[in-house]
Amino acid sequence: MHWPRAFRAAHLVTHDAAAAEDIAQESFLAAVRALDRFDRSRPFGPWLHRIVVNRAIDWTRARKLRGEVELVDVLPAPDAPERTDDTYAALGRLAPEHRAVIVLRYLLEFTPGEIADALDLPRGTVNSRLRRGLDALGDEL
Amino acid sequence: MRRQLESIEIPGETEARARAWNVVSAAFADRQPVERPSRRLRLALAVAVVVAALAAVLSSPGQAVLDEIRETVGIERAQPALFSLPSPGQLLVTSDAGLWVVQENGSKRLLGPYREGSWSPFGRFVVAARENELAALEPDGDVRWTLSRPGVRFPRWTGTETDTKIAYVDRSGVRVIAGDGTSDRLLVPGGRGPIAWRPGPGFVLAYTNMKRVRAIDATTGTLIWQSSRPAGRVTNVEWSSNGTRVLVLSPHHLRVYGARGRLVDQESAAEGWPDVDAAFRPGTTEVAVARVHGSQSSAYILSGRRLTNVTGVVGEVEWAPDGRWLLVSWETADQWILARAGGRHFRAVANVSEQFRSRSFPRVQGWCCAP
Repeated sequence: MHWPRAFRAAHLVTHDAAAAEDIAQESFLAAVRALDRFDRSRPFGPWLHRIVVNRAIDWTRARKLRGEVELVDVLPAPDAPERTDDTYAALGRLAPEHRAVIVLRYLLEFTPGEIADALDLPRGTVNSRLRRGLDALGDEL
Repeated sequence: MRRQLESIEIPGETEARARAWNVVSAAFADRQPVERPSRRLRLALAVAVVVAALAAVLSSPGQAVLDEIRETVGIERAQPALFSLPSPGQLLVTSDAGLWVVQENGSKRLLGPYREGSWSPFGRFVVAARENELAALEPDGDVRWTLSRPGVRFPRWTGTETDTKIAYVDRSGVRVIAGDGTSDRLLVPGGRGPIAWRPGPGFVLAYTNMKRVRAIDATTGTLIWQSSRPAGRVTNVEWSSNGTRVLVLSPHHLRVYGARGRLVDQESAAEGWPDVDAAFRPGTTEVAVARVHGSQSSAYILSGRRLTNVTGVVGEVEWAPDGRWLLVSWETADQWILARAGGRHFRAVANVSEQFRSRSFPRVQGWCCAP
């Protein structure tokens, strides 16, 4: 039930299918391990999604630090299906931090206050990232 | 915007979900739930803890208890030398001086200038390696046989009372030799270490190549399975004592595979926070992990329970053969921490390098069965 959204959120933040699978899977495993500490009076989905998005942001930052380059950037893969999805492409051109707040707000339906709490950011920063992200997406689309 | 985000096609979602289901359901089945006390009991416990903490801080005997705890976690209360091991068995340790056997009573014997070694299945022999030599030794240092090979690494011994084999890696690949030093042959050309024998019947060896971890029948050369994920730079491969799981450690991934190479658990370390070692607790599929995070390090059980947290760098983790104690190498403090599994008790041993005549911190190669 929670997998499609978790996987989609991870994919939209990382733009990497293998990383998204790893992140979603590890988030589920982390959730299983932490089940005994989970407050059962609260909904499970937001708790899981918060783990997913934070891990996805960590992954994109680490990837940037490692200076990783997609193999397809160097050697175009002829068999890889070409994506024609404008929204996906436009989202990919945003900074990962902006992608994350867009995904949290519009896919996972967090409020700005919940996003601020999940990402440990000031509420104003969340609002400005949302505004800038939407502006950039609007320009692209 | 929401419709747009939800309408983006995410390829491979169904297959990824199936794979994740296998992994997560296995982890859920393995989970050992903590018994949750009733609400009234929780409240009573919370009150008791607060009262006890206040009493501890305010009373002078209580202050002494706190001081004792602080001292115990620090290096001051460490034993100045290893007087004895907390569990039956013998340690195998390498230092700048060579390979050492440490008996349960703390006595140490230098076997020779070897840089790696491992125990035979019943602890009667040791297989050791130096740059261009593989050697089978008795724990008292007598050499049974030697074999010259270029760049020997990862010597590993397995088998039964009557039939044993040693696997090792040299420049040609993964090789296997009988325990008596005969029938040396190349098993996997180009195969790399680390390698590990599956405990139990048969001769199944896990090794790494450039892409995957593979399990191979060393008698027939048949590939039994390969890991579902790329291996990366693997630093440790180890089977659980019942032979049903394999852990594969690289600096940023700890992955546990089940039968047929199915991924059953994994954890990624954050960038710059490498997992430096991991080991199965004997008789279980619990995994102890040593992780460095910034200026701190910790040893914890993969299910989430932290065993110890120290300042500085830890090295390897090694379980006692009975699974009751975990040895954690605390390099920064030049100490070994011996942590009792499932409890808060631990011992520390100081001056480890000096005891093994070493400038670099000695490495524990194995803690074997009692003779």
